[in-house]
Amino acid sequence: MTIQAIFYLMGHASEQDLLHFVCEQATIAFRQNKRVFIYTEDQDCAHQLDELLWSLDAQSFVPHNLPGEAGHQGSPVEISWLPPTSSRQVLINLATEVPDFALQFSQIIDFVSEQEELKQLARQRYRRYQQKGFHVETRPASRVA
Amino acid sequence: MKTTKSVSQAFSSTGSLAKAITGFNPRQAQLDMSLEVEQVIADKATLLVEAGTGTGKTFAYLVPAFLSEQKTIVSTGTKTLQEQLFHKDLPLVKKALSSQLKIALLKGRSNYLCTYRLEENFSSQPQKRRQAGVQLDAATLADLVKVRQWSSHTKSGDLGELTDVADDSAIFAQVTSTTDNCLGRQCPDYESCYLVKARERAIEADVLVVNHHLFFADLALKDTGFGELIPTAQTIIFDEAHQIPDIATEYFGQSFSTRQLLDLASDCLQQYRVELTDVKQLGKAAEKLQRSAADFRLLFGQNPERGDWRQRLRMTTFSQGFSHVVDDLKFLYEVLKLCISRTEGIDNCFERATQLLNLCDLMQQLDKPGTSLWYETTRRHITLHLTPLSVADKFSEVISKSDSAWIFTSATLAVDSQFEHFSKQLGLNNARNMLLDSPFDYQQQSLLLVPRYLPEAHANNRAQALVDIAMPLIEASKGRCFMLFTSYRMLNQVAEILAEMIENPLLVQGQMAKRVLLDHFIEQPDSVLLATASFWEGVDVRGDSLTCVIIDKLPFASPDDPLLQARSQDVKRQGKDPFAKIQLPQAVIALKQGVGRLIRDIDDQGVMAICDPRLVNRHYGQVFLNSLPDMQRTRELHRAVTFLEAITAKKKREIE
Repeated sequence: MTIQAIFYLMGHASEQDLLHFVCEQATIAFRQNKRVFIYTEDQDCAHQLDELLWSLDAQSFVPHNLPGEAGHQGSPVEISWLPPTSSRQVLINLATEVPDFALQFSQIIDFVSEQEELKQLARQRYRRYQQKGFHVETRPASRVA
Repeated sequence: MKTTKSVSQAFSSTGSLAKAITGFNPRQAQLDMSLEVEQVIADKATLLVEAGTGTGKTFAYLVPAFLSEQKTIVSTGTKTLQEQLFHKDLPLVKKALSSQLKIALLKGRSNYLCTYRLEENFSSQPQKRRQAGVQLDAATLADLVKVRQWSSHTKSGDLGELTDVADDSAIFAQVTSTTDNCLGRQCPDYESCYLVKARERAIEADVLVVNHHLFFADLALKDTGFGELIPTAQTIIFDEAHQIPDIATEYFGQSFSTRQLLDLASDCLQQYRVELTDVKQLGKAAEKLQRSAADFRLLFGQNPERGDWRQRLRMTTFSQGFSHVVDDLKFLYEVLKLCISRTEGIDNCFERATQLLNLCDLMQQLDKPGTSLWYETTRRHITLHLTPLSVADKFSEVISKSDSAWIFTSATLAVDSQFEHFSKQLGLNNARNMLLDSPFDYQQQSLLLVPRYLPEAHANNRAQALVDIAMPLIEASKGRCFMLFTSYRMLNQVAEILAEMIENPLLVQGQMAKRVLLDHFIEQPDSVLLATASFWEGVDVRGDSLTCVIIDKLPFASPDDPLLQARSQDVKRQGKDPFAKIQLPQAVIALKQGVGRLIRDIDDQGVMAICDPRLVNRHYGQVFLNSLPDMQRTRELHRAVTFLEAITAKKKREIE
């Protein structure tokens, strides 16, 4: 089956807005009973997301873990700057490059910013996904301010 | 005199409470609860109220209880809370409402001086003293002097008045009675008995304060002269009601311990040495029972443990060991039978031997459905328990037969805003319920920390990891910290490492009695108290003394607990998930209790660190978060440190 890659157009959203949007996407996938892997550029970014998810309203709770925190299987949502250790459906990619393990997923969520440097990197990723034969589409991130 | 006063009037800003109590602030939640209690009293209904810390639930139930002018029993969790109710809250409400109702306080038997035993054991005239008089060490002897002085002028006989004798002094067991050794109406001191007098006052009172243990002893007729209180009450109010299911279970069950056997044997020996010197067999039989009871204890490991007694009973060593005990008890029983009516003491011993033999039969029932048969050892003794898996049927029957209003309140009854867990346990299916939020601003006042990257529960470096988290927190809060553990092993490991690493005084559970430990904790503001998770039930540390609580693991009951195992199997048989039905709600209530200890006042602030990532990464984390007060949350240790530093700085400013 073809891997679906969705690029969300983030416009001029700030980094904080982006992270909030990532949390929303992770929540949606979690509610659909999909196992999610959020791949970050570095540990610092993973910690920010961890803090954000943990601070959500109790009603919107999303069980999640950092690498090594929830045994080998991990929890429904894993946030990591390291390759995944268990199989998952959804990859949310926050890294500047397409990771080699992207092929393991059935769905990829990625982001395009209007900021020139980031936009260039996103374009490169877009092409990488296409080269790998993924089905790539773009969507407006309508809920972002 | 019929009163025209109303609950609303009492709580209004110009009402009786505001007039009588300086600084009284009417609160809507409090009034809502009070009106509901009033209605429930009128309807003789059953009510469950979770009232978050700071709601003012005590006044909310006392006011309608006083205004109803009916007989009310208020039962609470501990002696300390009883005293607080009786000496502080009740008089205040009574005065505010200009009520003429009679109020009384009744504690358990072991709180009242037994003048007969004081005289028997330590008579001022040595020739009257039993020859095998009790040997006391120097400290206990000093306590005896204090007891004796006080006994000459006390009116109530309530040992709580003796504030200069430590709670755990060995003297108390010698000068109080037990249901076993009380001579009841045969006692020469019956007319002047403090316990009897206290019970008489209790029966005459309009508003009576008891504790849960006493209440259930009365209900389950576990004490002589009991069963008289509850039928007379029109309103029964349980404060700290979350404790009721466990206590009810304990009292509706049966237990049998080697301590009872040894007490019986030593009383028989004393009878033999003093009164029945001719009955040589009595001495022999008692000594034989002492030996077999001690041997029976030795069949188990030296360290205290709990386990399934039925399993043990299927093993020859244990069934034989127990048979020896039973045989020797039977022999003693036969000897006692021959001595009946020679002395009051002998008759009492005979009755006890009869009861203990009956209990022995119960403890050998291999397959009585709906019960758990389990054992528990201490260093010296073993106790066998026959516990019903559910008290719902029995308890709901008590309620439906009672024609009274029943009110259950606590800061921690609900799990995920539902009362099901609590009401199911007691069979309170048709109870009304009410959930009142705390007036505290938990987002501002508290921070919940779940630190990152903790090693697994059984990892070798876990104790060190806990210390690494604790140290910056302790430093930032300048002590004022509880560390609570789910196992003694981890408690001791952490205590050992921490002692090397920090200057703050360390108070470790087991070093001294609980009360003393807590007193030290309050006296030494920079101290850190290390204890097991169950420690904080009933602990009340107000204000500045406690700003940080660190918990090593979510407080799930140990899966090895025999009663839990039996209940889990029962739930499984019904096709339900024992974790969701039993363990999870229990742990939720325990954690809620803990948060309640940390934030007790509108000005309190604090950090709760739970060193268990399962709270973040398991689905059930949501149940905890939905049930706990809405604290700010973080996973960053440094944020918790900053939060504590701000509290410490604020306190410093206030002092300067």
